[in-house]
Parts: sequence; C-alpha cells; structure tokens
Amino acid sequence: MFQLQQQQHGPEEEHHFEQDSLPLILVPDESNQLGLPMQFPDIWLRDNCLCSECYLHQTRSRLPQLWQHLDTKRIRVYHLNIDQKQEILYIEWNDGHRSEYPFCWLRERDFSLANRSHYLQNFYRPEPRHWSGTEFALIQKEFLYQDLISNNDELQQWLYQLAVYGMALIKEAPLEFDVVRHLCNRVGFMRRTTYGEEFSVRAQPGASNYAYLAAPLPLHTDMPYFEYKPGVTLLHTLEQSDSPGGWNLLTDAYHVADILKQQYPEQFRILTETLVDWADIGNDNQLEFHNIWRSPVINVDADGRYVRINHSIPQRDSHFNVHPEQVRPWYEAMALFVRLAHEQAYEFKTKPGDVLTFNNLRLVHGRTGYADTEQNVRHIVGGFLDWDIVYSRWRILQRSQTADK
Amino acid sequence: MWIKRLGRALAHVPEFTFRRQFSGRIVNGGSCIEVLPDSGSSTLTFPGVWLRDNCRCSTCFHDSSQSRRLDWDKFDTNIQALALHTDESKQQLQITWSDKHKSNYDLKWLKQRSFNASNRRSYLDDFYRPRTRHWAGEEFQQIAAKYNYEQVMQEDAVLQQWLQSLAVYGVALLRGAPLDEGVVRRLAERVGFIRRTTYGEEFIVQAKPGAQNFAYLSEPLPLHTDLPYYEYKPSVNILHCVVQTESKGGSNLLVDAFHIADRLRSEYPEDFERLQRIQVDWNDIGSEDGREFHNIWRAPVICVDAEGQYTRINHSVPQRDSHFTVPIEQVQPWYESYARFVRLARSDAHAFKTQPGDVLTFNNIRLLHGRTGYDDTEQNSRYIVGAYLDWDIIYSRLRVLKKKKAEQITK
Repeated sequence: MFQLQQQQHGPEEEHHFEQDSLPLILVPDESNQLGLPMQFPDIWLRDNCLCSECYLHQTRSRLPQLWQHLDTKRIRVYHLNIDQKQEILYIEWNDGHRSEYPFCWLRERDFSLANRSHYLQNFYRPEPRHWSGTEFALIQKEFLYQDLISNNDELQQWLYQLAVYGMALIKEAPLEFDVVRHLCNRVGFMRRTTYGEEFSVRAQPGASNYAYLAAPLPLHTDMPYFEYKPGVTLLHTLEQSDSPGGWNLLTDAYHVADILKQQYPEQFRILTETLVDWADIGNDNQLEFHNIWRSPVINVDADGRYVRINHSIPQRDSHFNVHPEQVRPWYEAMALFVRLAHEQAYEFKTKPGDVLTFNNLRLVHGRTGYADTEQNVRHIVGGFLDWDIVYSRWRILQRSQTADK
Repeated sequence: MWIKRLGRALAHVPEFTFRRQFSGRIVNGGSCIEVLPDSGSSTLTFPGVWLRDNCRCSTCFHDSSQSRRLDWDKFDTNIQALALHTDESKQQLQITWSDKHKSNYDLKWLKQRSFNASNRRSYLDDFYRPRTRHWAGEEFQQIAAKYNYEQVMQEDAVLQQWLQSLAVYGVALLRGAPLDEGVVRRLAERVGFIRRTTYGEEFIVQAKPGAQNFAYLSEPLPLHTDLPYYEYKPSVNILHCVVQTESKGGSNLLVDAFHIADRLRSEYPEDFERLQRIQVDWNDIGSEDGREFHNIWRAPVICVDAEGQYTRINHSVPQRDSHFTVPIEQVQPWYESYARFVRLARSDAHAFKTQPGDVLTFNNIRLLHGRTGYDDTEQNSRYIVGAYLDWDIIYSRLRVLKKKKAEQITK
C-alpha cells in the first residue's frame, strides 16, 4: 500500500545517540493526515525486534532470549536511521544488535491515542451501543440462515451486530435439530456446560431446571453461577406453541444500568458492589453438580465499563454471604432493577425456523407462560458460544475484508 | 422477649428431661427476626426481606429444580413479619407476613445460612472456594501432594483430596497412571468434562519442527501461563507424561505467581501497582485444523478483585502482543516492573522432571510453568498428553463430594 505514494522524499534522516538517549522514538510519516510523527518507546521497539533471533515467524511470536537477561535500564539506541523512501526504520542498539521495522508494521502499532482507539474499536472489540425497549425496532437486524452459512460478509455482520447491539434474529433455518451446532461450527465451536452442548427447552414436568417448565420465565441471564458464564445464547425454534403464551422478552440490561447510574446512583453503587451468591444444584446426565459463583448484579471493570450482568430469580442462592446490614438496601436496589428491566423489555414471538441469538453477558431474556397441547408442543433447541471464539472469528473476517480492499 | 418465651417453654419441661430449646422474636418493627437456636448458642439475626424471599413453600420454591419461583413482579421489599411461632418438636420457625403469606423454616436450614461473620467465613472458605495458601519455590516439596492415579479414579475420598490440594496450593502430582493416551480424558471425566480451546480437547506436546505454537518445539520454554489471550482462560492444566526424554533437559519448572505477587506487593509496591493496573495485550494468531484464529485479551499481569484478592496471573513472552495499547508514558515504567516480576519468578522456580506415568496437574490461573530444553532422538522422543479443566467444574465436583461426605458422617 505504501508503495503507491508519490510524494518526494527528503534525504535519509540519521541520528546518533550517545549516553542519554531519549526514550521516545519519533518517526515522521508523510501518510499521516495530521502530519504527526509516529511515536514509540525505545524499549518497546527492542522488545519487538522482528529479526529471526528475536521473533519466530512460523509461530508469529516473540522468542524468549532477550527476556532471559533483560536489563530495562541499559537498553539504548546507539544509531537510528529512517529511510523515508523504502519506509523502513533502522536501529542499532548499544549492545550491537540491529533491528529494522517497516512503516506498515509501525503504523498499526503507533502509540498515538487516535491509532490506539481505532485499533481497540475496529479490531479488538467493537464498542457496544446500548438501547432502550422502544429503540428495539431500530437496532434489531435479521439475517437469513443460508446467507450466514455460505457468505462470510453476512457472517461478519451477524457477529458485529451481536457485539455492538447484543442481539440478532436469524430467519429461515431448517427445522432440524443440528441447526444450532452448524451455526456454532461456522463461528468456531460450541461451549459445553454442565447441561451438555445442545439443550432442548421443552416443558418437562419435574424438570431439574426451572427453564424446562411451561410456567412464565421471568427476565434472567443464563448460568450466572459460572465464573465462565456462556457468552452468546442461540435459541432455535423448532415448534412454537399455538397458545397465546410463549412470547420472548428481551431487555438490554446495560441500558438499565445506564438508567440506574444516571437516576439512581446509590442503587447503582449497591448493585455494582454487593456480591450475590448465584447457584445451581442438581444433576444432568448422571453428573451431579453444585455450582456457585459470587459476583454483583452489575459488573464493571477498572475503567467503569460494564462487563457482565447477573440476574436470575431461580438461580440466586438462598445463601447470601454479606453483612446483614447490606441485605435490605440490596433488595431495594434489586427490586428497582427488576422493575426497570421489565419496563424496558421488548416482546415478540419467534416462529419455527427462527434462531434468536443474543449476548448472555449483557441482555436479560424471558418468556411468558404457555400451555402445550398434545398436538402442539413448544420446542426450542439451544446452544452457547463464548466471546473469545466469537471475537476471534470476527477479527479473522475483519482482517480478510481489509486485505481485500 | 425470647427469654420470656424460653422461660415459658422451660416451665413445661420437667427438669430431668431438659432439652435444647429454641426461640425467636420479631425486632425492628417487623423487618428483622432474631433466632436463639438453643440456650447455649448466640442469637442469629435474619433480615425479614431475605426470609420472605427464601420462603420454602411450594408456591415460592420449586423443589425438583431447587430454585426460587417467587413472583418478583409483586415482591414487596417493605415486607414485615407480623407473627412468629417456634415449633420445638419439628425444630421449625413459622412466620406470618404482612402480605398474609405464611412461611416455615427448618432451624438447621437457618443455621447454615446465618449472617454471622464467622459462619459466612467458614461457608466461603470450606464450601464455596477453599482459601489459597501461597508458597515459595523452596517449600515445593512440603506443599506438593502426591496421589495414586488408580486411587483417584476409584475412591471419592482421594479424588476430594486431590481437588482440595489443587485448590489450596495450585499443584498436585498423580503417580502410577497407565501409559495410554486416554488417561487425561478419563481423569477429566472423573471430575466433569474437558475444557475445549482453539487447540481442541486433548493436546500432544511433542517436538514438531515448524510448529505453529512455541510449546511444540524442543527449545527451552520460559515460565508462562497457558492461553493468557482468552478472557476465559483454561483453569487447570493436566499434563500426562507418556515418554520422558533421556536427554539432560525436559524438566518442568513451576512457580506460585501469587507468591511472587505477594513479594512485589510488600517489597516493590510501585511495581505491584503498575502490574495490576496496566492492561497488556495478549494474543495468539495462527490456525489449527484448517481453522484460522486471532485471539486477543487485554488484562494486567496481576489481576485483583475489588477486595484485593488475586484472581489471575497473565504471563507469556511469546503470547504477549506487539500491539501495546496504553498511553506511551506508561510503557517504560511497565517494562521495568515486568522485568522485576520475570526475574523474581525465575529465581523462585522449582525444577523437577516427571516420569512416565506421572500426571502433573496445576492451576493455570495462578502458577507459571516452563520447561528446560531437550534433545529428542529417534528412539526416545518426549511425549506429553495434556488437557484442561475449568474451575467452575472442579469446585462444583468438590462441593458435591464434601456434601456426600457430610451426609455419610451424619448417618
């Protein structure tokens, strides 16, 4: 790409560094629209030398030699040379080692704020956009099953929609049991849980899980009792109930968290700080389990971003390991969360052949009650994907799309 | 008030058949309940709203799924207890609520859920997740427990001990396993199931020239954790030694990085602060079975939770991305602190060599592991079969075993 540039280049820039070298290396780049030089710390350049002694191309990874005896204070640039024509930065280090860095590689790793933000949002993980129940029609997007299976652009858009808005509806899937598995394999692989890989949601009297009953299923996230909670839920409708019930409910709980943060800061604080015990006790396929995970309803990272929502009335443990004085304020804040989540819920009913997919770390979902008849039994097949796998696949697609352009 | 009740209750009991008595009372205008399990113990206080939320009747609780079915759309957080009754023979507490609902609670059930600090502490340490104990390299021989593979497979008590050792110390060695490739799967299925990654379920560590992953070379493998580039990093490493190299190298290196973090925290607080704050990009780019991947996860080297407890260590020279998306002025200080971490870890590493039939198991969230270089020959090529287990699955199994044992004891 950089070979296409036609500007005149100045003479090669040469610099000698004696004892007190600047820790920052500035590399002028004529392709930079603001005319700003690229900037790199010297130690980072040394650490990321691309020569075959320092970097193993076949594994695309750093070799360990440098780190066997790394003295961070001694590393210095001895001689630096920027070839603007070839677009290569040459460095000779004070230990005699020589490195060279092509501009195309450097540009992607420039430490400017603009480049870092661009990388994080367009490659690491797209920024989520939160939505209220009334905005549902604007953000929701439908994909055709066949398109996702055969077309990589469609696949990429589905994963992007999931990452940004947390939900997408897939239409016209065949009425076969393995649709969810096919979709997961198209992305990577299914996430196994204590309930196996695929699961069937069908009314089962005496079920060991509350979701397997025909009663209304209030808004919840799946499996809050796992530290490694499944990232994306896929629900394929094979048969839908003809009864007036069986409606899906979906709420963007990050939006509910936004409302709390703005209008009820004290309740927000309580829900982000109080550790709640989430639990699931039972057995499936002869595997007995007693899962517990303690974490708040709203989980934020060090930068204050939401990373996970936990909510489930049936899967909240009767053990509540907090100071007794924290109990009542938590209940009050939680009741507010539940009320707001309800108000923000969007209601719709999937049809046979629909696959509803959503971010299980972010959205709360539920179902109104239904009545099965002998002729008509609601039947949903579900499965999970993890975000590690989803983002990896999205990056591969993003990379090949950028390469095509 | 319960003293009065106790007095009344005692009045009915002839002295020679003195039994344990329990009593309760409503306090704080109905918002709290105090329970005195028997004359010798201290009072247990329960918030009324929690009791109402955890009513055990079939309308509020679904027994076969062991879960709450109370309708929270109508839940009143200002609920008040209006009346209280204790049933000595059934050892039950009955409460009548302001929403006219009646609830019964077994005393035993209440005691297990007491909000007293000591009860909460012991529930968390003995049942939720055992408290970890950190160790220096020189303590390795004392803390590293060894179990017989067949006993782990046959006896629940030994299985429990193994998992407990893993939870507390982060490492345990199983000996006497057969030399077939199914060992790691059988072991994982004795606990739950294998955690799958981009590299599949079982993996084979064997020198492969031209390998896509650095671990599949015979070079020395410096200390690292596996798969730091996953948000859901695999929890426990199971490495079954099928063939060990007769050459000089091939030794395992292990370090308790929680101990290194302890040292940094007390001796080099500035380095500790940087390493637990500054986010590092960890990555893995490649393909396996024709499937391309580009994994990235951004997280500090030392991850701590809101209470300052370590939740995870990330370290890998090869899997640290050349992308480093932090403000430029943080870079040099971070390198200095990280180099200190690497030096401390290396000088604390304990080296040992597993033998064919050994299964080394360790906590990949916490320990660093490595390997010295070795030379394969045509007659002797080092062959390790590995797999992962997740803590969610291990802790669940450990709890089920502990409950069973407790039930046997009470029987």
